[in-house]
Amino acid sequence: MYSEKVMDHFRNPRNQGKLEDADGVGTAGNPICGDVMRFYIKVRNGKIIKTGWETFGCAAAIATSSALSEMITGKSLEEARKVTREAIAEYLGGLPPIKKHCTSLALEALKKAIKNYEEAGK
Amino acid sequence: MNPEKYRKDFPLLVRGFEGKPVVYFDNACVTLKPRQVIEAMNRYYEEFPACHGRSYHKLGMKVTEEYEKARETLKKFVGAKRSGEIIFLRNTTEAINLVANSIGLKKGDVVLTSDKEHNSNLVPWLFLEKKAGIKHEVVKTGEEGILEPEALQEAINRKVKLVSLVHTSNLDGTTFPIKELAAVCRDHGIPILVDGAQSVPHKEVKVDRLGVDFLAFSGHKMLGPSGIGCLYGRYELLERMEPFLTGGDTVEDTTYTSCRLSKPPEKFEAGLQNYAGAIGLAEAARYVERVGRENIEKHEVKLNRLITEGISGIAEILGPGPEKRGGIVSFTVPGIHPHDISAFMDMHNIFIRSGAHCVHSWFNARGLEGSARASLYLYNTKEEAEKFVEVLKKTVETFG
Repeated sequence: MYSEKVMDHFRNPRNQGKLEDADGVGTAGNPICGDVMRFYIKVRNGKIIKTGWETFGCAAAIATSSALSEMITGKSLEEARKVTREAIAEYLGGLPPIKKHCTSLALEALKKAIKNYEEAGK
Repeated sequence: MNPEKYRKDFPLLVRGFEGKPVVYFDNACVTLKPRQVIEAMNRYYEEFPACHGRSYHKLGMKVTEEYEKARETLKKFVGAKRSGEIIFLRNTTEAINLVANSIGLKKGDVVLTSDKEHNSNLVPWLFLEKKAGIKHEVVKTGEEGILEPEALQEAINRKVKLVSLVHTSNLDGTTFPIKELAAVCRDHGIPILVDGAQSVPHKEVKVDRLGVDFLAFSGHKMLGPSGIGCLYGRYELLERMEPFLTGGDTVEDTTYTSCRLSKPPEKFEAGLQNYAGAIGLAEAARYVERVGRENIEKHEVKLNRLITEGISGIAEILGPGPEKRGGIVSFTVPGIHPHDISAFMDMHNIFIRSGAHCVHSWFNARGLEGSARASLYLYNTKEEAEKFVEVLKKTVETFG
């Protein structure tokens, strides 16, 4: 079964939804399972002050998006970049092995959002 | 039919995965392999790992003998007239691509398929539209998810040069009335290609009785190895067709500027073949015949009925009643993503499939994100079906 934390993030997702005034947006999709994640970040003085996300996929994908958004809010871009797949899984009290790929998808979407922010600033 | 009689032949069912017993319900994708098939393939690798047809030594002769014996077995398995009508290739997908590219379709020619085709019987036609200027038209299935001969009859016009249809749908397990559909095609002199990937392993499919011109199927869905499949083609048609792949073994003779093609089936089997695969597939066909496809079908429907009754209160099952769905139960549960269902099943070592099952077109047309699918075979048991129902109920409780 999914951990209590996974089910909690699935039932009560944090920071879910589109961020209208986002500074960076990134989308990642898995063509095999069909899941799609979009991350939004709002940045002030090098820090992520607000996040949002939209995820079309299973409970594990939703919980992963929710957890990552919580983990990076208030963190610097550098710190956000350093979040690992393992850290997200640990934050959620573990993920079944076949759902570990959800964490890659979330990190890919986040990294694209950061890149999108940095390129827009140039 | 008692599945216990056969389970001992399947190493995975005896040993389990990482030491734990498994319930394998993903047979519409790939079936397990009995030791007889594995041993037959090993015999090739250990005893005569050479080339067929062209090496004049004892090993070469032995490969030729075994490879042609395998062809003969498959010929009988599908009711072909002559072994030259059986072409070995990788799988159903390759078989359909072969016909698509070799039957001589020209600009303006129309190919008809149904709205329930696997991507393997859709994408080749989409590409031929671009490459060769053919036209691909989709005939809609009717009630109970099958293509009615009347609907096909109505869609046929003078430009239609090929009809290519799935026999049993991997999406919901329904089976098209291919004999009647083939009769419609015959009336109009149009060849019919049948995707038998899901029918040949599970029911008595004989090309002579069905009256089809081409039948494609794969080894990996019928206890055989992966990387081997068959195309049956009516000999007169094969004779007129050009090879799909060319090279070694497709020709009788060459000069620097010309070549003389071999006869079928050699004309279509380019390069060194998958001999172990063909031998393994023939062994699989013999195994399936020993159990009897009528028995397999009855057994699957029995388990399907049990599952359908067990989950119909909580799940929405695609397609008609279990009698018309063979060994396939494709379903959705409101509020639970199909991938979560398969993940929960996986945690209980029950292996099912979730997603679009390579029929994205069907789900997209209905705005659906996919389904969960349990698919059965001869070694599945009543106890496994009951466990599946129990775990699905638990899944619903967890998410409820």
